[in-house]
Amino acid sequence: MSRPPLALLIPAVLLALGVLALFLFTFFPGGEPVSPYLARDAAGETGAANLVAGVYLNYRLYDTLFEVLVFAVAVIGVRYYLVGQKEGAAPPIPESPVVRTAADLLFSPLLLIGVYLVLFGHLSPGGGFAGGVVGGSGLLLCAIGLGGEVIARRFHETALERAEWLILAGFLLLLLVPVLFGAAPGTNLLPQGTVGNPVSGGTIVIYNILIGAKVFIGTWVVIYYFTRHRGEV
Amino acid sequence: MTVRTVLLLALPVIAVFALTRARRLTAVIAMGLFSFVIAAVYLLFHAPDVGLTEAAIGAGLVTFIYILSIRKTGRLVILADEAPGLLSRENEGITGLEWEILSGFARELGLDPVVRFLPRPEIGHALRRGEGDIGAGGILAGEETPGLVATPGYLPTALFRISPAGGAGRIRHGFEYFGELADAVRRKAPLAATVDLARFMGLARGDLTGYTVAREEGEHAYAFLVPADQPELHSRLCDYLNRLQESGKLDELVRRYLE
Repeated sequence: MSRPPLALLIPAVLLALGVLALFLFTFFPGGEPVSPYLARDAAGETGAANLVAGVYLNYRLYDTLFEVLVFAVAVIGVRYYLVGQKEGAAPPIPESPVVRTAADLLFSPLLLIGVYLVLFGHLSPGGGFAGGVVGGSGLLLCAIGLGGEVIARRFHETALERAEWLILAGFLLLLLVPVLFGAAPGTNLLPQGTVGNPVSGGTIVIYNILIGAKVFIGTWVVIYYFTRHRGEV
Repeated sequence: MTVRTVLLLALPVIAVFALTRARRLTAVIAMGLFSFVIAAVYLLFHAPDVGLTEAAIGAGLVTFIYILSIRKTGRLVILADEAPGLLSRENEGITGLEWEILSGFARELGLDPVVRFLPRPEIGHALRRGEGDIGAGGILAGEETPGLVATPGYLPTALFRISPAGGAGRIRHGFEYFGELADAVRRKAPLAATVDLARFMGLARGDLTGYTVAREEGEHAYAFLVPADQPELHSRLCDYLNRLQESGKLDELVRRYLE
């Protein structure tokens, strides 16, 4: 009997383990289920009307921190590996006026929606990740319509890089500040406010703004580097 | 049937549609549509946050990234000078025999044909620099230079020499675009040029009195130029031209555009 190739065997074993783990979780539930607790108490405890934001920027802030770090590492990786590649030289093919006009018209609304999603992430669906991506897509649309270099000229590259590090540092500092007051890192020490008010949720809003800015810049940097070194806009 | 069921049933349909498209842009747009539908499904399953992120990333960002990346690979860039009947501008679009052939070829490859108009002498250089995939617009078979390969001639043609009847005046050689040549003939400027049959017919539609026209010796045929570093494109184009000839479609197109 011939042995199955390793490339097939490994995914098969992993899949089997995954299914087994699912079964184990179903058969051995541990302690009180968490969802009724969240539905009952989360809004009051975190001050965020949007429970999702309450979970990932308060109870599970560590997960979010590492998500942001993963994103930052991805951006660094793109920068590091593409900067040595030669730049594409082909002249850009002029885009049709339809795309140009659409890019002009859509850019401001998209940016506005992005900002709204970031600022109201603790009240309604949205948050830093989604808002940042929406803003970044607006920028990308502009890059398709007007050419990447036109957009790139408006951003100072070193300033962008510095802003990225500052945001990351701000995130970590904000996480550590509660230690000075004798609380665990990441504790929300700001007043919760009235649930449902624009000013509520304490640090959640600040985290959302930081993440939104980070994702917005990161999206642009990744796409700009890819188009400059591997293709064209 | 609830809305949820309809949307869930639509998902595999859209997915299969996207996977089976030959044209990349259609496939990318279909994938964006898939993301929108699945975002709506998330919304109906009471996960608006996930739905919003799916719409922003799947339908927005990823679609844009794909569009950016197929811009270079998803186009068949044709470099040509205008040649009436073969490849010329008409209102907003492009028309002619070669346009018909090449856009059919591009469709078969799943690419979007794009024409960049260049002065005829510059087409070869631009192709060699990798600025385009195919040179067209009255290229003659055997017009090969290092770095470029021509397809076999697909249509016999002839060359005509136009020169002033009296031989008087300062003779102008060399014309950047066909439009300039036509303009010079219209103004009755003293000029000397050798043109192919399609361009000659285009000029003869105006008034050629005052010029001596002589047919040049030799057998000539129209062809297309392909950069030598794209042998696969060359063989596929030759194959496509062969099939057009065998099916009789080429004759039909020639009748439509050149008679």
